[in-house]
This record gives sequence, structure tokens and C-alpha cells, in this order.
Amino acid sequence: MAWRSEGLDAGAALGREALAYADALHNLAHYLTGNAADAEDLVQETYARALKAASQFTPGTNLKAWLFRILRNTFISLYRRRRNDPTVGGLDTVMPAIAAPTDEAWLRGDLELDRLRKIVGEEIERALMALSEEARTVILLDLEGLTEIEVAEVVGCAVGTVKSRLSRARTVLRQQLRDYA
Amino acid sequence: MNCEDARSQLLQYQQGRLELDAADALRAHLAACATCGHEDAAERMVTELLEHRLPQHPASLALKRRLAAGWPASVPQRVPWWRQWARPLVPALAVATVLLVALPVVYYQRTTVRDTNGTSRMVGEAINDYLRVLSSQHPVEIQSGGIHQVKPWFEGRLDFAPVVSFAGDQDFPLEGGAVGYFLDRKAAVFVYRRRLHVISLFVFRADGLPWPTQGLTPLGRVRAYTEVARGINTILWRDGDLGYALVSDVDSSELHALASKLAGNT
Repeated sequence: MAWRSEGLDAGAALGREALAYADALHNLAHYLTGNAADAEDLVQETYARALKAASQFTPGTNLKAWLFRILRNTFISLYRRRRNDPTVGGLDTVMPAIAAPTDEAWLRGDLELDRLRKIVGEEIERALMALSEEARTVILLDLEGLTEIEVAEVVGCAVGTVKSRLSRARTVLRQQLRDYA
Repeated sequence: MNCEDARSQLLQYQQGRLELDAADALRAHLAACATCGHEDAAERMVTELLEHRLPQHPASLALKRRLAAGWPASVPQRVPWWRQWARPLVPALAVATVLLVALPVVYYQRTTVRDTNGTSRMVGEAINDYLRVLSSQHPVEIQSGGIHQVKPWFEGRLDFAPVVSFAGDQDFPLEGGAVGYFLDRKAAVFVYRRRLHVISLFVFRADGLPWPTQGLTPLGRVRAYTEVARGINTILWRDGDLGYALVSDVDSSELHALASKLAGNT
């Protein structure tokens, strides 16, 4: 399908709309790379690639999700390979035990809720960064309001996989937070 | 609904993405199951922590400026295959159109110019020859005793036989003939009179000369070209292998009258 717009140049319009997602892209980039400098480079490269691939964007689809997909693919191609990241294992193979007896005890006492209320920003950030890159990605994309279908397109997996990955990621996050509490 | 089903749907339920019936069933389960109720509360708390306490790392203004500067006002767009072909074809078609329009015009102009130049050359030569006749001490080499006396005189003097049947009359008496040159070739010169005016008829081989192709008017069974230059009328026509140039300072209509007699009888 041809991508055109009436009057206003479609490319310029896409650029303006894409720039509106710079904060969200940079936030994800920061949590993927772990530092501001790499995050900026990743976002810049993402926009450069988006510009080159602008003709492939289909109007009417989610531009934000499209940009996230480019960002994640760029991250994989440029950053993840050169890093020896022990957290890059994937949630499908590193699955924490859900509702283990100790957790049940923890949950039954409502202690978790009390402690969670005392968690500060730095602690939740540290807990998030302790997760695998895939876990961080699905949690942050979910926070950005992407649907499971859109998240699946970004990370390149089935919708059902996204659902299970997100559930597992949040469970692991809660375990990390419990340790801080 | 069991606890496993309930927990697998919690996030969707909290985000309002469950179907109405499924949401009602889950709500009922959460109300009845303390463990799942707690799970629901904990998940909501995690979401709140992520949404409100997780530090955000927005793009700096400097980065945004760089991004804006890096995105041009126009980017390549996906176009249909025919547009991809049309893009290079448009200038080619434009050039082809211009050539289609321009070439005939240029050709016409070039041929017209060439035609005009050639015709002018012939007219100029005819006038110069006419003036040479006028200035000559002996404009005719053979005094006319009639056309049947003049024509045989050319035998052996020319490499062609001039075809002139008009022997002259009271209006245009034939004075005589001579051998002259028209451009690069010999010509038979017939001298007629109209009152005190001299009228020269040059007969020569027609081949290889830049005969006019435009501005021709009917003259008997041929078509002739008429031009006035330096106050002298010239009428050019060709008939078969022979060319004719009738030149005089007489009135144009009178010269045409003689031309009609000549062309009608040649």
C-alpha cells in the first residue's frame, strides 16, 4: 500500500509523530543498555533506521510499536552481541517457581503488600535491571500501553508467548522486590 | 474458574482487556479466593510502583533536537511499481515529447532555411546573369530570325537541348539567344523584349540545384516560384530535366504573362 498524505509531506508528518515518542524510546533504550550514553546512541540509530525504512511503515498501524521494534532490533544487532550479559538468557528457560511454599507464606501474611508500599524508585529500578533483557522489555512495553499483539510484533514472538513472558517477568520482579523489602 | 486460570488472566483483567463474561467470572473468583485476591492486590501494587515510582529516562532536549534535525522534511516513500518506473520514464518521456515537437520544427526550419538559402542563391544568380545581359555590349550572340533559327544555333554549344517553343510575338518579341552560365553550368539565354525592357530566359539542366519547394504557384502545367529582388522579378520553374529562370524588370504581371506562354509551350 502506498503511503501518502494529502497536502503535508507524509515523510515530514511521520518524522514529527515519531519524535513525539523520543522519550518513551529513550526510556526503553536506557533500561536496555543500562546507561545514558548508549541509550542516546541507540535512539539515534533507531531514528536513522526508521528514516531509511519510513516507506515500509503502514499508515494506520501503531507507529510507537513500529519504532519500538526497530529500537529492539537495533539493540540486538548493535549492543547485545558485544556484551557478555549474564541476564540475557530469556525467560522461557529461566523460569522462577511460581507460588512456591515460601512465597505462599509471604503472600498470605500480606507482608508483601506492606513492604511493596515502601519500595522507592531506586530499588524498583535496580530490581528491573536485574531481570533479563527480555523480561525488562516486555514489562516496559506493557507499561507503555502496547497490546499483547503489539508487544509480540516488537519482540518477534507469538502472542501467547508474550502473555506468559509478561506473567513470569512480573513474578521475578516481585521476587526481586521482596529481597529489597 | 480455578486459581491458575484466575492468575493467568489477572493482568488483562486489571488492564480492562478481558471480555465482559470472563471479567465477571474472575471478579467472582477474586471475591471468593483470598489467595488470588491478594495476588490481585500485589499485582496492582507492582503496576503502581512501575507506573509511579520507576525512574523515567526521557530523551534530553539535545537529543530531541538532533533527532529533529536528522529527520528531513521529505523521506523516500513506498510507491507502486508503475510509479517506480514512471519516475525515470517521466523525464525520458518529457525529452521524447520535446523531441517529437521540436524535431519537426527544427527540421522544418532547417529545410526552410536551406530552401530559402538555395532559392535566394538561384534568384541571385538569375538576376546577376540578367544584369550581365543588360550590361553586355552584345547581349545576344545570335540575332533572332525566329525560334527555329535560334534553337539550332545552340547545338554543339550546350550539353543539352533547350526546350523553348514560344517563338515570341508582338507583345514579347524574341530578340535572340546566347550561351551563358547559370551557377555551375552552361545555360541557353533567350532574350525577349517587352517594349524597351529586356527579358532574359535562362534554360539549364535542372539537376542538383536547390529548387524551391514552397511558395510555388501554378504556371501552366508546372509550378513556379516568383520573387522580387533588387527591383527585378524572377520566375523559376523546372520542367522535366530542364530548369527555367525568367528575369526582367518589367511588371510582374507582364512577366507572368510571358512565363505562362513559355511554360505552356515548353
